[in-house]
Formats: sequence, C-alpha cells, structure tokens
Amino acid sequence: MNWTGAARTIVVCAILIVLQYTLRPLLAWRASIDFMVVALLLGSVRLRPGSAAVYGFLLGLVADSLAVSGFGTAALGMSIVGFSASWLKAVFFADNLALNGFFLFLAKWLFDLIFLLVSHRSSGAELAMQLFVWSPLSAAVTAVAGVLALSVLKPLLELRTS
Amino acid sequence: MATASRLGSRIDAGLLVGCVVLSLIVIALPADNREPIATALRRSVVAPLVGLQQGAERWRTAWVSSERRQLVVDSLSLRAVRAQALQLENDQLRKVIGLGSRLDWGFVPAEALHSTAPSEDVVTTLTLTAGSTAGIAQYSPVVAAEGLVGTIYKADPTMSIALLYTHPDFRASAMSGDGSAFGIVYPHPARATGADAYMLELRGVTTRVILKPGTLIFTSGLGGTFPRGISVGTVVEQIKTNEVWTRTYLLRPAVTPSRVTSVLVLTAQRVTQGTGNIWGAVVNGDSASRRIAAAGDSLARRAALLEAQARQATLDSVRKATIDSVRRSLGAPPMPVSAADSAAARRGQTPGAQPAPVVRDTGAQARRPSTAPGGAATVKRDSARPRRDSIRPDSTKKTPHS
Repeated sequence: MNWTGAARTIVVCAILIVLQYTLRPLLAWRASIDFMVVALLLGSVRLRPGSAAVYGFLLGLVADSLAVSGFGTAALGMSIVGFSASWLKAVFFADNLALNGFFLFLAKWLFDLIFLLVSHRSSGAELAMQLFVWSPLSAAVTAVAGVLALSVLKPLLELRTS
Repeated sequence: MATASRLGSRIDAGLLVGCVVLSLIVIALPADNREPIATALRRSVVAPLVGLQQGAERWRTAWVSSERRQLVVDSLSLRAVRAQALQLENDQLRKVIGLGSRLDWGFVPAEALHSTAPSEDVVTTLTLTAGSTAGIAQYSPVVAAEGLVGTIYKADPTMSIALLYTHPDFRASAMSGDGSAFGIVYPHPARATGADAYMLELRGVTTRVILKPGTLIFTSGLGGTFPRGISVGTVVEQIKTNEVWTRTYLLRPAVTPSRVTSVLVLTAQRVTQGTGNIWGAVVNGDSASRRIAAAGDSLARRAALLEAQARQATLDSVRKATIDSVRRSLGAPPMPVSAADSAAARRGQTPGAQPAPVVRDTGAQARRPSTAPGGAATVKRDSARPRRDSIRPDSTKKTPHS
C-alpha cells in the first residue's frame, strides 16, 4: 500500500470512528451500527495480520476507555477480529461488496461473541438472547451500513490492496 | 523468500499473541489500576471523541425532548378537540333528556347515526338505533330538543331510517306561532354552504298574511303526521315566486341535521294526543289564553246565575209583600207561606214546577216584575247590571216578617 492509499484509508477510518461517536448516539438503536468494526475491517484488509492485530488492539483500547466497565475486553476482541480479517483477506482475496458485507457480519458477530463471553456482563438466557438475537441483528445492521459506507467512500478508497 | 514469509508469519502471530496477552492483562488488572489508564486515554487521545459523543448525546436529548414536547402538545390538542366534541354531545344529550322529561311519555329515544353517502353534500337521512320493536312505525315524527328533525321512512325491528327535512320528499303542514298563517314546509332546493346549507320553504301562505323575519313556525297538526306545536324554524325572508295568491317564505330550520346525535321518535298515540307546549309555541299560549277566557266566561255565567237567583228572590218578596198589603187592606188574612215555598222562591221556582227558563230582558221589564201568583211563571232576567235603586231597601228588609 502506497502512501496515498494509506492516507486515504486513514481518512476513511477516521470518518468511521467519528461516525461511531456522533451518528451512533444520535440513532440510539437497540441493534446499533458498530462503525468501529467497519473501520477495523477496512484497515485490517490493507495491513498484515500482525499489524491488523495491533490496529485492532488500539481501536479496542479507545472503545474501552469510553466504556463504563470491561476495560480491555474490546481490545482483545478487536485484536482477534483484526488479525482474522487480515488473514481471511489474504486467503479469500475477496473484492466484492456482498462478500465484504458478509465479512462485516461475521466480524461484528465474532467481536460481540468475544466481548460478551469475556466481559461476563450477562449469563444464561440473557446471554443467549444477546448472542443469537441482538448480536446477529446488530451485525446485520453493521454489515449493511458498512457496505453503504464502502459504496459511498469508494471514490476515496481503493478496496483492494495493490 | 519462504524464510521471510515464515518470519513474517511468526511476527504476525507474535503480535497477535502480544495483543491478546496485553488485553488479558488489562482485563485482569484490578479496577483501581485500570481506571487511571482509561482516564489518561479519555483525557488525551480520546478527548475529541468524548466531546463529539457529548455533543451527539446532547442533540439526541434535545431531539427526544422535542419529540416528547410535540407529543404532549399533540395530545393536548387532541384532547381539546375531543373535549369540544364531548361538550357538544353532552349539551345535546342534556337537551334531549330535558325534552324527554317534558314529553314525559309517548316517545322512543334513539341514537342518530349519520349514514349519508360521502358523495352527498347534505345529510338527508339518518339511521336510528331503535326500531319497530321499540314502538317506532313508519311516518313517526322524529324530533330533537330544538324542534322537528324528520319522519321515519322505514322501521326495521332493531333500527330505522329517518327521512330528514332536508330530503326532497319531505313535507310538513306548518303555521305561524300566532296561528295566523298556514302553509306547507318544503326543503329549500338551492343549497348554500355554511350556516345556510340547510334551509326550508314555507309555501302556500295566503297573500293577506305577511310574516316578519324572525317569526316562529310550528307544525300545525293538520294531516295527522306531526302533532301541533313542534318547532320547525324561523322566517328569514319572503321568496319571490310566480304564485299570485300565495306567498312563499324562506325558513331557517330549528335543527341542524349534521349535528344531531340523539333524537326522540314520537309514538302514534302521542301524535294523536299532541305534545302540548313543549317547544314554547305561541299557539299553545293562545290556546291557554282561550282556556283562561273560557274559564272566565263560565265564572261570569255562574255569577250571573247567582245574581238572577238573588234578584228573583227579591222580586218574590216584593210580590208577596204587595199581595199581603192588598189582602190586609181588604180585610183578608195574609197568605200562608210554607217553608217549601220560600225555598222554592229562593231558588226562583214554584213548588212542583219546572225550573223557569232564563230570558234576557231589558231593564224596564226587569223593573216591572210579574205578579202572577203561583204557576210556572217565566222569570225574566236582566243581563245588565241590576239597578238596586229600583228596589226599596226597607221593603226587602221587611219581607221575612211576612
């Protein structure tokens, strides 16, 4: 990835992170859009897996610092998700919006799975409800929003790494 | 190349492991140790994001509170509209209850459902929630507290259809409040909007009668469909027509059909016996004044009869006193008077005779009473005031002595 591509990626990720802290509180949906995961995947597919893991770790720390409890949980989840996204990108070499949407869905669901299991915020039926109802819904909404964001920001961003 | 790749993979795996381990360490840290790290991040790198989030939260709060305020305003507006409708309905129900208490009997209360097709501009029919099982029959009058609404067009067992006065087929015999003018009420064909959407015509009023604007019009009771005295409306103005010998007047109806929600249907027996002075018809006041005048006449007649009886008794006494004085002057004993005779005399009758017919007489004749003794003498009565001066008080006072 050249410097121009890196700069564009940084700008797009910054926009997505800003959206996470502006649009998301405004919408306040029960199954909310996670722009951090979109930003994580968008950056991870342009990085090596190890770098993607570090990138995810840093994004997770930012997210954790604004959370009430469970400091470090998001860092763990995003590290794993970022590494996985970068590795899967190298394996599948996907370059269409539908597959990117599917990856977004899987990434968000995996992140929620790790986050909920590690943070011990809920258990039993509530955990199952969260994992199999709200998390998939949130993942679907995130996937749709991510695909839309990628479509809108396509002129600014090259999806494929050179 | 392969070595570099393997090295890169190892580095990637190492970074992942390092991140995971760091994360687990952070998670495992006590809360007192974690919080300074989080605070440091919030005050440095994440500070702009915190500001953005606070602004977004503030916008969200303002939006939600605005929505709530709008909901409250909408709810209040809706309640105000409903309160107006309820107040209107309450007023109508109060009036109907008042009308029912004044009618007392011979009516069926019903709720009016507006079933007019949306294509129609004016309400011409109403569906009533009472039918023939409640005593409603075809052509039964439908009234409201304000006055005439219409007539029953069709009566089913549980519901009925009322033909309103706005219907082109509606007719009613009507008269002015003082009973000076009679005519037939028709719906006014020229429809207007607003308050003048429902108007009536009073046709066939004789030319010699001129009705002033504001004159109250009531049903006349002719024809037998509507009882006498139901308020129909008020005269607005005279309408120019081709009729020469009759006049036509425009009426403003007493009832607005679109606002009618509750009505009373008069039964056939009530139609036959009338409604009396329910709607404050002047004609009923007129009849009342006639009744008062008739009562006054009967009192006058009774007073005249008593006066005639007293006068007859006086005349009898005078007659007997005259006869006695003549007999005394001739040396004959005075005539014996029995108790029955005196009673009969007080009644103006002779024993065993029929009551004498009362004949009006002039004053001169009254001053010359009949002196025929006994028999069914004709008693002549003066219709004028009795002239007391024609009778000597001393003679009348002396009569019991004889």
